[in-house]
Amino acid sequence: MSRTDGEIKAAVQEHYGARARQASSCCGDAGHRERLYAGQELGDLPETVASYGCGNPAAIAALRPGEVVLDLGSGPGLDCFLAAREVGATGRVIGLDMTPDMLALAEENKRKLGVTNVEFRRGEMESMPVEDASVDVIISNCVINLSPDKDAVFRESARVLRADGRLHVSDVVLSRALSQAERDDLALWAGCSSGALLESDYVGRLRAAGFEDVRVDSRSAVGEKAWHSATISAYKRASSAPPAGATAATVPLAASAVVSCGCGPNC
Amino acid sequence: MRKDLMEILACPMCKGELTLSIDEEKDDEVVRGTLYCAACDERYPIEDSIPNLLPPDLRKATSGA
Repeated sequence: MSRTDGEIKAAVQEHYGARARQASSCCGDAGHRERLYAGQELGDLPETVASYGCGNPAAIAALRPGEVVLDLGSGPGLDCFLAAREVGATGRVIGLDMTPDMLALAEENKRKLGVTNVEFRRGEMESMPVEDASVDVIISNCVINLSPDKDAVFRESARVLRADGRLHVSDVVLSRALSQAERDDLALWAGCSSGALLESDYVGRLRAAGFEDVRVDSRSAVGEKAWHSATISAYKRASSAPPAGATAATVPLAASAVVSCGCGPNC
Repeated sequence: MRKDLMEILACPMCKGELTLSIDEEKDDEVVRGTLYCAACDERYPIEDSIPNLLPPDLRKATSGA
């Protein structure tokens, strides 16, 4: 039997609320953040700015001063704070999350860091509280898989992006189809796996939402599990209309480039 | 939430403009207040500097609203 959207959202909020209260990441040990963001300047970010992500959004490094960035599922705010440095005082970063405890933690982290160009707001990514065509870049790190309505997330993403805006996300995608029993396991859902789409489906749905130049930039395997993490880019063009019959770019699954996401049952 | 961020904000339902009422502010930051959508006749609270812009049904159904 399928779970309702409300049940899924409640389970996700409960899981991440508990994580925020413990200020711990579901995704591995204390060194998780440092491994994931190797090469990024974490500098003075306190430990409470944990990473719950499944891949390093290299997109952050490509941000330009003055850009408006929207982070879907901002958690304790790590990607927001990193993005804020890149876009500078003339740019803006908006962190959207639906879990009150995460938002409180993010706000506390923001105060500690004295950051002024980051804003957190409570909302859901299926109905974003964001104006049309007001965002340059959407980032998201291992979150969209948690949504019970990913088409709505992609449609909303296309709506809020400006022409030539871009979406750069890391997410958990399936390498094979899951059984209905696996899908029904809400603990699995909140641990980022049973809600995940097949990678080709993910790419196809982004195209259906009007994105162009959708591509998988990199993949990281998570052991022998039925899922892997992928970083995916997509662009909104001025006259976006999805090309018929387009297929995902082929990138080999690099088992050697293992990023221990930890997302899943033992997360 | 900062007042100058109002320009990017929109009602999660109709995507229309929101009107800000401030109950408490500190420097440029609105600590407590309300965002009102005239088209939907819906009020979204701002508490501890964070606007709660969940759609009304979800906002009322979840704790911490």
